[in-house]
Amino acid sequence: MTHASGDTLAYQGESRGPSQKQQARLNGLMRSQATFAWALIAPAALYLMLVVAWPLVETIRLSFTNANIGGEAYIGTANYEKLLSSRKFSQTISRTFYWMFLSVSLKIILGLIGATLLNAAIPGRALFRMLVMPPWIVPVAIGCFGWLWLYNGHFGIISGVLQYIGILDGPFEFLAYKNSAFYAAVVTDVWVGLPMVTIFMLAAMQGVPRDLYEAAYVDGASRWYRFRRITIPQILPVIITMSILSIIWTFNSFEIIWILTEGGPRSATTTLIIDTYKMAIANFKFGQGAARAVIVVTLLSVFSLVYLFALHQIKKRFEAV
Amino acid sequence: MATLQLQNITKSFGPTPILKDVNLSIEDKEFVVFVGPSGCGKTTLLRIVAGLEIATEGSIIIDGKDVSRDHPIDRGISMVFQSYALYPHLSVFENIAFPLRVAKRPEEEIKDRVHKAAAILQLEERLQHKPGQLSGGQRQRVAIGRSIVRNPKVFLFDEPLSNLDAALRGDMRVELSKLHKSLDTTMIYVTHDQVEAMTMADRIVVLNGGVVEQCGTPMELYLHPRNKFVAGFIGHPRMNFVPAMVSRVDDDGLHLRINEHNTMCLPVASEGIRSGDHVELGIRPEHMQLDEEGPIAMHVEVLERLGAHSMAYGKINGSDPFCASLPAMAEVREGTTVRLSIKPENAYVFDENGIALQRLGALQPA
Repeated sequence: MTHASGDTLAYQGESRGPSQKQQARLNGLMRSQATFAWALIAPAALYLMLVVAWPLVETIRLSFTNANIGGEAYIGTANYEKLLSSRKFSQTISRTFYWMFLSVSLKIILGLIGATLLNAAIPGRALFRMLVMPPWIVPVAIGCFGWLWLYNGHFGIISGVLQYIGILDGPFEFLAYKNSAFYAAVVTDVWVGLPMVTIFMLAAMQGVPRDLYEAAYVDGASRWYRFRRITIPQILPVIITMSILSIIWTFNSFEIIWILTEGGPRSATTTLIIDTYKMAIANFKFGQGAARAVIVVTLLSVFSLVYLFALHQIKKRFEAV
Repeated sequence: MATLQLQNITKSFGPTPILKDVNLSIEDKEFVVFVGPSGCGKTTLLRIVAGLEIATEGSIIIDGKDVSRDHPIDRGISMVFQSYALYPHLSVFENIAFPLRVAKRPEEEIKDRVHKAAAILQLEERLQHKPGQLSGGQRQRVAIGRSIVRNPKVFLFDEPLSNLDAALRGDMRVELSKLHKSLDTTMIYVTHDQVEAMTMADRIVVLNGGVVEQCGTPMELYLHPRNKFVAGFIGHPRMNFVPAMVSRVDDDGLHLRINEHNTMCLPVASEGIRSGDHVELGIRPEHMQLDEEGPIAMHVEVLERLGAHSMAYGKINGSDPFCASLPAMAEVREGTTVRLSIKPENAYVFDENGIALQRLGALQPA
């Protein structure tokens, strides 16, 4: 289409510019182009409006109401005021951040160590690389049911082994006590999230030119020095990207906690997302649930902005390379 | 002071032999070039000297000390890589300073030495830039700078100019030769480009199939190639090889029948050669002359007018490819046949095994 109009213009330009008739045709063409473009994006736009924009607006609206199973009424910012003054909610928030911090740091550190080992020239490397994958391939729910059994006090292997080697006196239900349930959930979350972090870091490490290491080796740099001054800076973009994505996923991690503990015992594993679900779906307090959901959206938006900003910085830093 | 001896170096990767019993002695302050086609083992040999590969057998002696099992840093060598191997996340300054930082030198000394190296390589304006912001030639100089700051006993270069365009390569050749003179150290340089070897080397080592074919000064190799491989490899355009038969052997040398009508008498040592033997005549393109009475008839297929001279490519005896360097304004046209002659003193003869027969006379100007 562009071509056709361009040709017409060029042809007319030789004599005396486009005639009125030509101009009208051109305008029509451009109008129809715009219409065509709108038609092309319409399905996607409509889809986004339906599944993102409308629920979002609806959630925000609900958060200013006392909506529940019996009906709804506008109550202004009462839901938010209640949240901000609630000690329980502030505990949930700090628990969520602690959960996120612990799980993400473990994923990144273990991922880095794992990727380094998998990148080393050891016999059977391909096999080890394959063995990293299962937690990623197995559906999360199934993996979690497996962990449920592992944590079981009477039948679980962990309690069994710890008793066998004499660390425990008797059966220990990991998911029955506040602290152990929390850390058990962290372990499972790391187990689920680790393979992807490891594989991405491994891919990044494999992308570092061998010459860089050889040059450093000739200059006398030790293994650790090479790791610190070549590997880490070279894969930094991937570390940052994986950290921020892990933060988002861990923050949002729902099914792992829900299957293992349903947020218990005594809210020990209730993160913001679990709290939101419990309030809105389990207790039918849609208004209060919506207020929590809005906070979730706000926090996730902040994480996403940080992610976009970091990507931009990385691009700027490595652009000249 | 840095002399380097390679003694019986053998290297195999699994069952594949890469280097076979390489022996070499490199003098202090010498610029030695390893040259050969791809896969000849030249880079492997350099990497063995660097300590990046361990020889399967043999020893490397630097300044009289066997360093075969030593870490590169203890050998006193530094290496410039084909890809330059610059750290993309570090500035030019930090790239050059890298070996000094590894060695934990004091900050003052690092600054001083980096600036000195940068001054030699004209990189002072670029110290704060990242490698990605530099041109190919500048990156090359940063890589050299990283070598210089260490004050190594031996510099190793692995095809450092192969990523540069032709014009820059010419400039860098001159720069490197100057650098060698100013630093006054031993340098080993690997290339597949015989022009680089000829122009820069004090001594060239021609490698082929993991074996040293010949080792000598550029002109020694050009004038007295030991075999057909060296004769064909050194010199540009490459030497023509024409099959010939020995018709007579006498005190004057060999009488060769080069085609149906012509024989040539060549002054070469003729021990072990009998009439009837098949040999090959080696003729460098630059030694050919247009001569209406000449014994060689060449059918010209392509003529390149290069300004200073013209290159004619074609065939002789119907099928043998042949190349001749002719005067710039030579009245030759593509598709015609020209007659050429050569002074017998300028021709080479190779026996059935490709070994050059010793020439009895000195080379004559064409």
